[in-house]
Amino acid sequence: MIADDAMMARLMTLSQGGDRQAYATLLAECQKWLKRFYARRIVPHQIDDLVQDTLLSLHQKIASYDPSRPFLPWLAAIARYRWVDQLRKVYRADETEFEESFAAENSEPAIVARISLDRMFSYLPPAQARVIELVKIKGLTISEASHACGQSESLVKVNIHRGLKKLATMIEKE
Amino acid sequence: MPTDIQTLIDGLVEDLQPSRAMTLRRGLVIASGSAALTVGAVALFFGVRPDLIAANPNPVFLLATGLFLILGVAASFTVIGMSRPQVGSTHVGWAWAVAMAALLPLSAAVMGFVNQGNTFFQSQPTQGINCLTNGGLLGLIVGGALTFWLRRGAPTSPEQAGLLTGLAAGSLGIFAYSLHCPFDDIYHIGIWHSLAVAVSAFAGRAIVPALIRW
Repeated sequence: MIADDAMMARLMTLSQGGDRQAYATLLAECQKWLKRFYARRIVPHQIDDLVQDTLLSLHQKIASYDPSRPFLPWLAAIARYRWVDQLRKVYRADETEFEESFAAENSEPAIVARISLDRMFSYLPPAQARVIELVKIKGLTISEASHACGQSESLVKVNIHRGLKKLATMIEKE
Repeated sequence: MPTDIQTLIDGLVEDLQPSRAMTLRRGLVIASGSAALTVGAVALFFGVRPDLIAANPNPVFLLATGLFLILGVAASFTVIGMSRPQVGSTHVGWAWAVAMAALLPLSAAVMGFVNQGNTFFQSQPTQGINCLTNGGLLGLIVGGALTFWLRRGAPTSPEQAGLLTGLAAGSLGIFAYSLHCPFDDIYHIGIWHSLAVAVSAFAGRAIVPALIRW
């Protein structure tokens, strides 16, 4: 069963009151939700690390959830923040294949579409989105990305820098 | 479920403590309480302008002080909102308040140009430095309260949150000190009172992000 926003909001409210059983259920649901959320937007072998980082942030910032508001947009804001933070870390991925098992599976397409990571990419200029996808998500080198998209290597670097900076400013943007 | 994630979840569940939600209402209580404390400090340590006590305030004073109050409220409200992130939230209203308050230094510049006078010396620089210093120091009360609030919250843009914390602190600090400051001319207010807000905003941008924990 996939929990919906109302159920997760109830579990979170109980968790803020100290209900450990509700919190265990909530974290398990969040873990499933976050794996779907990050699918295809980060190198697969890094998904677990990112999910764990996000669960830790959820735990540390549990008080910042207001029970009078929906839950998933709050979780998505934290998840987006962690995702941009992860993209900013310099890494060269060893593996570039994406698992298809996380392919968009969700119970609330309208909400998820508004808060998805793809939505953030849609606000970037295509040249910036393309090089971030190639280098930071698929794990290509600057040189490989330069050949793949036809931009010079220095332009690839500039576009990655500008794109990540812009992503960081639109974490709460719908 | 991978074992390490399950281990993490078990640890987090074990670590769970009841926590009070950061509601808008609680945030507003903290912001307005610290602002009230700032006004109280001015009344206690500096004293209130005689024309205010006589209920006959100067119109320029009313206008300028009101603009700083609105700017402080708008910035505080935004900081409280930023501590409770949500996809779909926008934090742009404060910019209009900045534009309104910017009319004060702009008016001082225009009047200085039109009158061809020495604007700087007409602004009472000696007293101006007092306003800059005391307004900035008084802002520490609101700034401290909002920083404390932000540290518990989850601002997704710590730099902007820091800038707005400084803006709120400076605006409410100089608002409170204006209740004491006896100078009503546009040069003094436009230069020195506005400078207190600008310096505080830059200080907030420089200092507060490092104090926000994620």
